[in-house]
Amino acid sequence: MKELLTIEVNGERHEVAIEKSDSLARVLRDRLGMTATKRGCDTGGCGCCTVLVDGRAVYSCMTFAKAVGERKVTTVEGLVREGELDPLQQAFIDADAVQCGYCTCGMMMAARQLLDENPDPSEDEIRKGISGNLCRCTGYSKIVDAIQLAAAAGRPA
Amino acid sequence: MSTELKIIGTNVTRPDAHDKVTGGKNYPVNFSLPGMLHTGILRSPYAHAKIVSIDTTEAEKLPGVKAVLTPDDVPQRPFTPVYFVPAQARSMVQDFVIMSDTVRWVGQPVAAVAAVSPEVAAQALELIDVEYDELPAVFDPEEAVGEGAPRLWEHAEDNIAKHAKFEAGDLEAGFAEADHVFEGCYQTQRVHTCYMEPRVCVAEADSRGRIKILSSMQHSFGLREKLAFALGIPESDVNVIKPDYIGGGFGGKLDIGFIEPIASLLALKTGRPVRAQHTRAEDFISTTRNPIKVYLKTGVKNDGTFTARYIKSVLDCGAHATHGSEVIMVHGLYGTFFPWNCPNQTWEGYTVYTNNMIGGGYRGYGAPQGCFAVESQNDEICEKLGLDPIEFRLKNTWREGDPHPVLPGHELNTYRLQECLEQGAERSGFRNRGKAGSGSGIRKRGIGFACHPLWVSGCVGFPDIYEHAGATVKLNRDGTADVVSACVDIGSGQNTMLTQVVAEELSLAADRVRLVYADTDTAPFDAPTHASRATYSAGTATRAAAVAAKKRLFQAAAAVMEANADDLELRDGKVAVKGDPSTAVPMTDIIERAESPFIQTTEDGPAPTTLAEKGTIIGTASMAPPSNPSPCAAEFVEVEVDTETGEVDVLNVVYAHDIGRVFHPKSAEGQVEGGFQQGMGYALMEHIVFDPDTGACLTGDFLDYKMPTAVEMPRNIESIFIESIEPTGPFGAKSLSEMCIIVPAPAIANAIYNAVGVRVKDLPITPEKILRELGRL
Repeated sequence: MKELLTIEVNGERHEVAIEKSDSLARVLRDRLGMTATKRGCDTGGCGCCTVLVDGRAVYSCMTFAKAVGERKVTTVEGLVREGELDPLQQAFIDADAVQCGYCTCGMMMAARQLLDENPDPSEDEIRKGISGNLCRCTGYSKIVDAIQLAAAAGRPA
Repeated sequence: MSTELKIIGTNVTRPDAHDKVTGGKNYPVNFSLPGMLHTGILRSPYAHAKIVSIDTTEAEKLPGVKAVLTPDDVPQRPFTPVYFVPAQARSMVQDFVIMSDTVRWVGQPVAAVAAVSPEVAAQALELIDVEYDELPAVFDPEEAVGEGAPRLWEHAEDNIAKHAKFEAGDLEAGFAEADHVFEGCYQTQRVHTCYMEPRVCVAEADSRGRIKILSSMQHSFGLREKLAFALGIPESDVNVIKPDYIGGGFGGKLDIGFIEPIASLLALKTGRPVRAQHTRAEDFISTTRNPIKVYLKTGVKNDGTFTARYIKSVLDCGAHATHGSEVIMVHGLYGTFFPWNCPNQTWEGYTVYTNNMIGGGYRGYGAPQGCFAVESQNDEICEKLGLDPIEFRLKNTWREGDPHPVLPGHELNTYRLQECLEQGAERSGFRNRGKAGSGSGIRKRGIGFACHPLWVSGCVGFPDIYEHAGATVKLNRDGTADVVSACVDIGSGQNTMLTQVVAEELSLAADRVRLVYADTDTAPFDAPTHASRATYSAGTATRAAAVAAKKRLFQAAAAVMEANADDLELRDGKVAVKGDPSTAVPMTDIIERAESPFIQTTEDGPAPTTLAEKGTIIGTASMAPPSNPSPCAAEFVEVEVDTETGEVDVLNVVYAHDIGRVFHPKSAEGQVEGGFQQGMGYALMEHIVFDPDTGACLTGDFLDYKMPTAVEMPRNIESIFIESIEPTGPFGAKSLSEMCIIVPAPAIANAIYNAVGVRVKDLPITPEKILRELGRL
């Protein structure tokens, strides 16, 4: 039995018919067609589906869509502002942190929370901040570089 | 040559990076078609059983279910799912069917449904009633070859799917000549590639029954061939669309899976597009790196010179041979036997059926298992005899200019193992390391290394493996170039490499070259993205296509410029008579003229052109590369071992590799760093574990299957690339990818030995094993 859900994603309110058991990832990808949020495992193990809910990084595969309530969801689709890439997006390109790129969107959302809360993180803090997100291509080195680059871009010169 | 290169060797922006950081719309997992149905696959709970009956009545009645498949509905055509060999290659074992009346491993597909949603498909599976007659099962390959063991296949007596042997010299005489003989047994475990994007495909059939399919596989033409064979239809009735990129592969997406034929059959049955996607648990029971147990006996002189080596390798291929019959050969040839210069050698390999899950391709393809055994024992030899470990390696390997040890008629044109070892030792501080276990305190540090002296840049010279590649390069009037290539970018940068090759050859900026739509109907054949081959092989063919386009450009330019085509050159986007810059004409003018009408009316009146210059500026090539040059590499690792908990921290890594030519420095480092992550997981933590009684996989998600996160990874991974400029390679290239995963496990094992003086010979080297060896458990 489907029911109607109102959800705010990237500043826009959507009314969408969902199954009670739908995860946030299912709603974003399959009901709203926002495919930046990837599904890698559906068991909260890989982090590909990471999105922000009220600024906090969550695994959207482990979050019931209904449980989001009035909170604000941010996905990679919401990172681009007026045609400008988020500093993290630009840094991931510049640092060559994107190989297959399947983990990239989730990784950037975890990093977004980290930088929002701690604009000048140490390398250890960065590594801890993305430790809930797996990458199988890069060995994380260039991802750490990218987050450092984005942090530097966010600092006043 | 290097001074003239403008694009090759620079960190151009990956052409797909912007797309991927803004959401990556074009992953296969995001592909969908209107009216698409979703697949569910019912899998066997038994490791070995005969199917007595399957009742699908209730499932078919469920609203939303559109079709059900059982073994009776699928062609019973045995084949090998391995993509890179012809469907009936004699070197491979043909024992794979889409669904059979006998199940031989937990997870083998038994039935499938197509339904309007994944949820309905899952619900339908629960309504299918299967009656099994359970049979005895065997899970250990050495038990499986023993007397009285349950037999899996009629065609395989003693459950041996393949037995191979290579011999050189006189083994007995060699051991008689030895001053010392070392013996050991080295065991590796089953691991998964852990690509992040699950395996997925969408298939649709047209009204004539022709299949169009997009899949996350690493090879478009292999999918066409295998799918056509499995379904019993002509190859031309399958069109495979190449995805722009896929979410990782590492060899784990080299096989045709069960999903592609099942989705295709369901599409034929329903007349609607059908999507099939693995759950992560399904991925974990598909295509893994085969465990190999290596028995190794080596005879050496007092000075460390090899006199004899006997190697026996037992590979557990699970219930189907799949890659197992080829992995064992590559493991023998390139993993153990030929990397080392030993005059008297025998290698015997056995690929053995068990009721375990199937194996598959995984980056390194048999060499990580071999290198772990050989380089662990080499370390033991040096330690026992007090030999310099670097001199010992150099004494027993090859030299630049030697005949290629495996491929008749080829030479090791470029071969710089000595530089790899010396530079790696220098940068890592290897020469200053202490004696094994000599550190004080609870946490002890150690440095170790491993090298791998011989590997591939593709498959030229191998029996039964495709190696040709092709591309079409078309120049547009706006000065851009379109490249059609069936080479799949699996994350390691094939799209970047191909654009660099074309941009370099045609003197364009890298962002003026685009990889465009390709499918098997329209693109020239390309072998899979595997075997460290794409740069060397697809790079060679794509460069040839660009050269052909350039030739065509010069023909048109010759007519426009009233010059001889052979006298022209292309530089900085301009065509000019060689040595006379005053004749330079922008290439876009030539392309425009070639594409323009015969007489074009302009503001200045009619502008006549000539017939000779007309026609699209386009070039095509399809060819095999000239050789199969060998890269070589050495890796030095510093670890810290906690002697109370057995935990290992990897602190520093220095990797040195004879690469031929670096195309893209950052991507090359990325291969090393990512390869180390996989190799470190293999060495220390990754292990697919089965219930010993039922054969069911117990590590079906990332909570139970542990791979290194950013926290466990070392802070410092240094890459040293020795650019030997291979004369047969495109712009001097050889290869990189797989070597990066071959050497880490023995390097880490040897570093742990140096730290605490104990050697673990079965992977993964867990804290428990270290504590047991230290006598603390």
